[in-house]
Amino acid sequence: MTTTLETVWHNRIFYLFVLPFAVLTILFGVWPIVLSIMVSFTASATALRPNPTYVGFANYAAIFADPAFLASLLRTFLYTAVAVVVNIGFAFGMAVLIDSPLLRRGGLLLRLALFLPVVTPDVAGYVVWRWLYDRSFGAINALFDTVGLPAFAGLTTGPTAMISLLIAELWHHAGFYMLIFHANLAIRDRALEEAAHVDGATAWQRWRYVILPQLKPAFIINTVYALIQFLKTFTVVVVMTKGGPNEATNFVSYYAYQLFDQGRYGEATAMASVLFLIVIGVSLTIYRLGDREAAR
Amino acid sequence: MRFLKRIAAAAGIVMAGALPSAAQTLTVWHDLGDNGLKWFEAMSAEFAKQRPGVTVKSLSYPTDQWFGRVISALNTDSAPDLIYNNYERVIRIQDQTGKVSDLKPVLGKVTDKAFLTDDDLKVATYKDRQIIIPIQRVQMGFGVRKSWLDKVGETFPETWEDAKRVAGKFRDNDPDGNGKADTFGFALEAAKPRDLIHILDLFSFGTGLRHTLIDPAGNITIDEPRHAAVLEEFLKTYTSYKFVAPDTINHSFTEMYQVIEGGRGGMFRVGDWNVKKWDGEKVLNGDFVVGKWPKFAADETNYVVIGGMRGIAIPENAPNKALAQDFAQFMLSKAAQQASLDNIGAAVRGDLDVAALSPRSQYFAKAEAPLIAYDFPEAVHPFYPELEAAFHKKLLSGIAKPPADWKPFIAETAREMRELAAKLKAK
Repeated sequence: MTTTLETVWHNRIFYLFVLPFAVLTILFGVWPIVLSIMVSFTASATALRPNPTYVGFANYAAIFADPAFLASLLRTFLYTAVAVVVNIGFAFGMAVLIDSPLLRRGGLLLRLALFLPVVTPDVAGYVVWRWLYDRSFGAINALFDTVGLPAFAGLTTGPTAMISLLIAELWHHAGFYMLIFHANLAIRDRALEEAAHVDGATAWQRWRYVILPQLKPAFIINTVYALIQFLKTFTVVVVMTKGGPNEATNFVSYYAYQLFDQGRYGEATAMASVLFLIVIGVSLTIYRLGDREAAR
Repeated sequence: MRFLKRIAAAAGIVMAGALPSAAQTLTVWHDLGDNGLKWFEAMSAEFAKQRPGVTVKSLSYPTDQWFGRVISALNTDSAPDLIYNNYERVIRIQDQTGKVSDLKPVLGKVTDKAFLTDDDLKVATYKDRQIIIPIQRVQMGFGVRKSWLDKVGETFPETWEDAKRVAGKFRDNDPDGNGKADTFGFALEAAKPRDLIHILDLFSFGTGLRHTLIDPAGNITIDEPRHAAVLEEFLKTYTSYKFVAPDTINHSFTEMYQVIEGGRGGMFRVGDWNVKKWDGEKVLNGDFVVGKWPKFAADETNYVVIGGMRGIAIPENAPNKALAQDFAQFMLSKAAQQASLDNIGAAVRGDLDVAALSPRSQYFAKAEAPLIAYDFPEAVHPFYPELEAAFHKKLLSGIAKPPADWKPFIAETAREMRELAAKLKAK
């Protein structure tokens, strides 16, 4: 105890500077989460009153007995799994392409083209995508029509709506993941590749055994970030499908929002808490796995 | 020391001057945007003639924020003097706070109120408390593009058969003359529970039905023969008839307005509050006719639907409650109601000057067409939003995968709704 206090006192200037940010984080980051979890244990009709009625785990029992929530959870997992693989795979491919000496001239342009969507306001981007997919006046179907392809159902059927959201999100997020990969590629130790080359390793072997292991930090960061991103998928649904058609894109975040809109605060925050626990659990597991691998 | 005394004296004078005027300021929170701000400004000027020195200050918030702010303010004793919104939103505030005043005694003191109907007062009452004083009836009529009607050689549709014929021509006969097949019979919406059921409400009430889903006794009505006939045609409008844009299943209010204002839908809902904007040169430029909703059977009557009621409510913990009550009473006066009609396009009085309004606004203001009031099930059944959400889900599943025969689908939906209503009631 004395030692801890001595350490704190010794680093007092550091803690003094950190204090305001710690307070802000607790006030605006941690406290709302705690409040939200508290609301999930209250009866909706009294949830926002100064003295709410606490109902224990009743809201959790209610959401796990709701087939729509379970379907929504499953849908969220499925979408996340596909979206993470597609986004990370695409971003990695693009980063490798940009890193290639063959693309020295067009590299900047490609980097710009991939990164611009990241800084574009998401709502504006998704509105444009919605218009592109529109079956009566959208550019995608106009193009399909011109080249003689059958019409793309876009946002009007379940499976195509999922694909449509995936493409729009890929457009918006992949540039960020690409940048992380590109940065990791740029700082890798090229001497190792030269040594492997001298030892007779093929191009594939150099990639598999020399370059890829060095990209592990980027893979871990991107995977965790993408998992968090796609488990919480919300804005694209609000703008493009509103959970439809026929619930096909009703992910957990949006479902919780719908219940919130109906004044079912207890169940809505119970859903949000479940999602929060899943996000935390998945993120920590991946970090742990990454650390364990690094320690070997 | 002398300097400090002077400062204290000056501060005292300033405070003395400021306090009385602060006590005479009433604050109203609403979600009516710029038109609402202008309306309350106009009413404030009129009210000051009766109560010199009193200022009414209104603040407009987006609806979602309005909810959060009002609930937290009422629960933390930092409430405004008055809140203004649709009745169903005030019901939610009352559910969450239990701090909305019963305005029966306040309305009881108003002598000039014969224009308020039983339906108006019924909707203002929730669990035996009058939670709002009705100020603006929300009227909704059926609108049709006038130039399109002329182009396809039709007149305003009176019956559902007329409407279907016109819708087919709007879809197939290039009514906007741009050479493209990009127009639709109707501009509707479906994405959220209130979107789809709201439109079904309008078709149902417009032909004289009294309930869309559930009656006040708690009986599910959708499979009663007249209801089922309307519901079946309604569902076909979204599916086999192909009268709406293919993306309508994902359309909410914003997208529906884009279809209307973008000149792609020929028939649509017109709310009294829409007219001012749609009369504008850069929007529809007045190229639409407003009338009654089509009737589904020859022996029925067409109606314009009263689809809601906006009103003023007073929190129990309002800082200037007595003055707020005076202002709430004043909002039913002719001057305040005229300001409401001029700025918002709606009121509850029938004796207002409508000469300055467009023919389409006058249609609502004069209220000459038969009016039918929405049944406001939220005010009777607290579980209604949950039931409506389930009904919406079921109907959307049908629209997404239309059955060959809608009759068994409607019967099955009715059975499911009965089971759910019983379950929710027992909760």
